[in-house]
Amino acid sequence: MNIQVLYGTETGNAEMLAEDIAAELEADHEVTATNLSDFDPGEFDRGTLYLLVCSTYGDGELPASAQPFAEKMEAEAPDLTGVHFGIFGMGDSEYEETFNGGPATLAELMIARGATQLGERIAHDASGAEMAEDLAFPWAEEIVGMAGDALGQAA
Amino acid sequence: MTGQIAIIGAGPSGCFLAQALLKARPELRVDLIDRLPVPYGLVRYGVAADHQGTKAVTRQFARLFERQGARFFGNVGVGSEVTLDDLRGAYDAVVLAAGLSADRALGIPGGDLPGVHGAGKLTRALYEHPEAEALPKLGTHPLIVGNGNVAIDLLRLLAKSPEELDGSDLGAGPTEWLAGSGIEEITITGRSPAAAAKFDTVMIKELAKLTGVTIRVIGAGESDDPEAQKKLAALTALEGGDGPRRITFRFGMTPLAVEGTSGVEAVRFATDTGDETLPCTSVLTAIGFDTPGDLPRDALLKDETEGKLAAGLYATGWFRRGPRGTIPDNRADAKALADRILNDLAPDPDKPGATILQALDTLTDYDGWCRIDRAETANPPPGRCRAKITTREDMLTLARQEDMP
Repeated sequence: MNIQVLYGTETGNAEMLAEDIAAELEADHEVTATNLSDFDPGEFDRGTLYLLVCSTYGDGELPASAQPFAEKMEAEAPDLTGVHFGIFGMGDSEYEETFNGGPATLAELMIARGATQLGERIAHDASGAEMAEDLAFPWAEEIVGMAGDALGQAA
Repeated sequence: MTGQIAIIGAGPSGCFLAQALLKARPELRVDLIDRLPVPYGLVRYGVAADHQGTKAVTRQFARLFERQGARFFGNVGVGSEVTLDDLRGAYDAVVLAAGLSADRALGIPGGDLPGVHGAGKLTRALYEHPEAEALPKLGTHPLIVGNGNVAIDLLRLLAKSPEELDGSDLGAGPTEWLAGSGIEEITITGRSPAAAAKFDTVMIKELAKLTGVTIRVIGAGESDDPEAQKKLAALTALEGGDGPRRITFRFGMTPLAVEGTSGVEAVRFATDTGDETLPCTSVLTAIGFDTPGDLPRDALLKDETEGKLAAGLYATGWFRRGPRGTIPDNRADAKALADRILNDLAPDPDKPGATILQALDTLTDYDGWCRIDRAETANPPPGRCRAKITTREDMLTLARQEDMP
């Protein structure tokens, strides 16, 4: 399966996790990890599974590297019908009210353009005891399993 | 020949720079030098003990040393064990990432009275920096001058009840000090109007979780700017509570003098409506940071452009940009500087590199830090994720215990 891990990062934590997910999946799949700041919404491809990894910054906002992407999504309003994605959020529950605001915004942007979200939006808590990858690897495997059916390819 | 780069300071800016350099050119030799036997600088000793999520950035930095080949040279003071010139002679490029650790002085009459404490000094004591002074007595009514994020961090820590510090890495001594502080009231004052206050809105919202306080916000004012409106709304939402500790926010207060004979008794401010004197038992200044003077920062930065100071000499992070910007802001800075350094880099195979450091018998390394880290996290007390080793001597003993499992 073609998988592209797209990350929105501010401190680099989401970037590191995205690269780890890509490394975890690359034995069985064609995987790349790309910063959302280097990705154009026009590049979305229906034959590729997108795994979005996104943090939250400031007051529940998108992280810096996802902001140009969000602006382009608004401006270009691409039709993403038939595009499949899963989304993994990274947040910090110290900031209760806006915990995981960034990934929520990103998921809404995708769905508003017709893309299909696979699975639940997972939220890792930086102030919690669990390592992000311990949540993210099983999540990625699960989404890839679901995408196998959705994309009509062998997972 | 691949190039050898020394980074002075293993705090977040130095680590992010090393990360960007090694990501671009994995074959580079990148050495991080720190005056402490432990890395991560501000993340360990400046980021609040109850902001463990922010400290999670150290997982990236650990990878730098464990997988990307960066090396840690701890317990090396530049200016004592080695000189900046030694390093410039030994490496193809040297980067100053030493941060700014000294508190900017108030610079007003009474500013040096007993009972006036800089936020940096107090923070280092709270977070058990090996060179910190003892935690001072603040009395029943400390007054904070400044309203950036550092000021809000201090306010939050001082206002928290012991249970609210669960999950932090606040040490036993500071925990006891806080529990017995006897603080009844905290006043926090800023020069600017609330709409222009330097704190981030999210830091204010976090204060809404405090359970043991009653908060008053005086003179928040209004604004047409949407960002400022968010700030004001968050502030206004804080008002109220029924806890025993009173917190008062004041704005538009320019300090004129700290008053008192043998210690702090009050601060006199200029306001739009004339002078006003606020009584207090201690003054905590959080008005920015300065160089501690171990490196001649002003002279070094004299000809600085975009992080380059001279041939083969660069600066990044707070050392370059001044005490502004969060950890991720400095990451962006570090990335830009990495490109610049790589562009300039002309490796000289005759440069000895780390050989000049390896001769130092005081040196500690990354494995030594791992031994300290394991000792700190192996068996923390209830409600804590870490118990810091607090003296340089104990750090060195642990760091040098070879062949520990």
